[in-house]
Amino acid sequence: MYVIRHALLNLGKNKGRNILLGVIIFAVITAAFVTLAIFNTTGIVIQETRYTLGRMVRVAPRQIVYGEASVSFEQFLSFAESEYVHEADIRESRTSINGIEAIYYLKQPEMLTNFEAELRSRGLPDTYSVVSEELSFENVTGNLENLHNLSLTFLVIVLILGAFIMVLLSAISIRERKYEVGVLRAMGMKKKKVALGLWIEIITITCICFALGMGAGTMLSQPISDVIMTGQADSINVNISVNAITVMGILGISILLASITGFISVSWINKCEPIKILTERN
Amino acid sequence: MNALTLQNISYEYEGTNRVIFKDVSLRFGAGKVTTIVGKSGAGKSTLLSLLSGLDVATSGRISFGGKNLSEINRNRYRAQKVGIIFQSLNLLTNATAIDNIILSMNISGITGIDKKTRAFELLARVGISREKAHRKILKLSGGEQQRISIARALAHDPMLIIADEPTGSLDKDTEANVLEIFKSLAHDDGKCVIIVTHSENVTAIADEVWGLEDGVLCLLPVQTDTGGGRDVCNPPRAFESWKE
Repeated sequence: MYVIRHALLNLGKNKGRNILLGVIIFAVITAAFVTLAIFNTTGIVIQETRYTLGRMVRVAPRQIVYGEASVSFEQFLSFAESEYVHEADIRESRTSINGIEAIYYLKQPEMLTNFEAELRSRGLPDTYSVVSEELSFENVTGNLENLHNLSLTFLVIVLILGAFIMVLLSAISIRERKYEVGVLRAMGMKKKKVALGLWIEIITITCICFALGMGAGTMLSQPISDVIMTGQADSINVNISVNAITVMGILGISILLASITGFISVSWINKCEPIKILTERN
Repeated sequence: MNALTLQNISYEYEGTNRVIFKDVSLRFGAGKVTTIVGKSGAGKSTLLSLLSGLDVATSGRISFGGKNLSEINRNRYRAQKVGIIFQSLNLLTNATAIDNIILSMNISGITGIDKKTRAFELLARVGISREKAHRKILKLSGGEQQRISIARALAHDPMLIIADEPTGSLDKDTEANVLEIFKSLAHDDGKCVIIVTHSENVTAIADEVWGLEDGVLCLLPVQTDTGGGRDVCNPPRAFESWKE
């Protein structure tokens, strides 16, 4: 219990160092939050778009072949009765070759092959194509894919850079506290309790930064996403949302950062002998 | 009754061939003030490090209450059995005086007492007021820090009190007060008090004075009544000859 109290008191006593550490953890968490929120949301939008387009099947003649039987409006309507079809949109169209635009929304994108087989068995000529709109997916979500990939790359960079800075800062911080560790050990405090105290300090800082980073990240994600998407052709309006996956991801990143610093502290404390620390200082 | 026993202790600095002690054997009695004198670099502080379990001898055996220090938990030994007053004080400088003392009690695992009250009592005993008890160590004078270091060493009521130049920064009155405390701890409470010093005032309260030179300890003849059968310095030397 006293280890926790001592650690919490230490937070206030070493303001300068802890604020610096906090600012870096906060920056890493906020950046990670923004990128993770964008990554997850764009991922969901891409998936949903792919699903929607994959379900959307267009049945149309590849070309008009004179002498070949054409499919009538009624036949197109009857195709909508297939067990694979969720709903259909059959209408006359001046822009299509045969004057009919037939779009079927399948229950699942994977049903395309079965649906086509059924249509062929029911007399759909080979000159008609049964094509899912997934093929146009690239055109629709191209920019979104770029944003998705960019956010992933940025997340990886943030994590690597963040971890590197944290390791460096922990190493410097622990060396600054060498004397304190030496005194505590000389007084008989066990290594694991000294390490626990340092770990509680970093965990507390990380928790505060986690809360602040979540708030800042929530505020910044949408504007940053809008700025990135602005001016891009065929852009999809992406509403960045914070879901459980993002929160869990940030929590994981926070724990990772705290663990890195904790590991540095513990491994250093395990190596140091109080007499050496105090003799060196004196 | 012996509190601490050294048997054939040898010590040399790691990575060097510099021998500090060679086959030193010594017994520190409970209820006595023992002082160790010697010139700078003679190894007095190293000896205290060995006695306080902060360092380990190259060979030989140090026993506390019959148990070999190398076989017991030295963290617990330092936390519960020994009160160390370092020459360089080694206080937590960003903490207050009272926090330093309470932390020492916490580390020792003391329960069943009001730690704050005991800390104030100890500080009052060494002449530190309640107002100063709440000041950070760096805001106190060298003499006050030294007294806090003494109070901290007594916080967990240890059996052994090991002090390295404990009165170096104190004025005469405070030194006299602190020496009275050491005497009382040994003679009234039966503690084993071991002090490394250059001060004649400190050796004046000692029951035994040992001189350390060239890795050898010998008993100064100032206490003829306690030196029988021990390694009395030969030829006998005055205290002054052990100073710088």
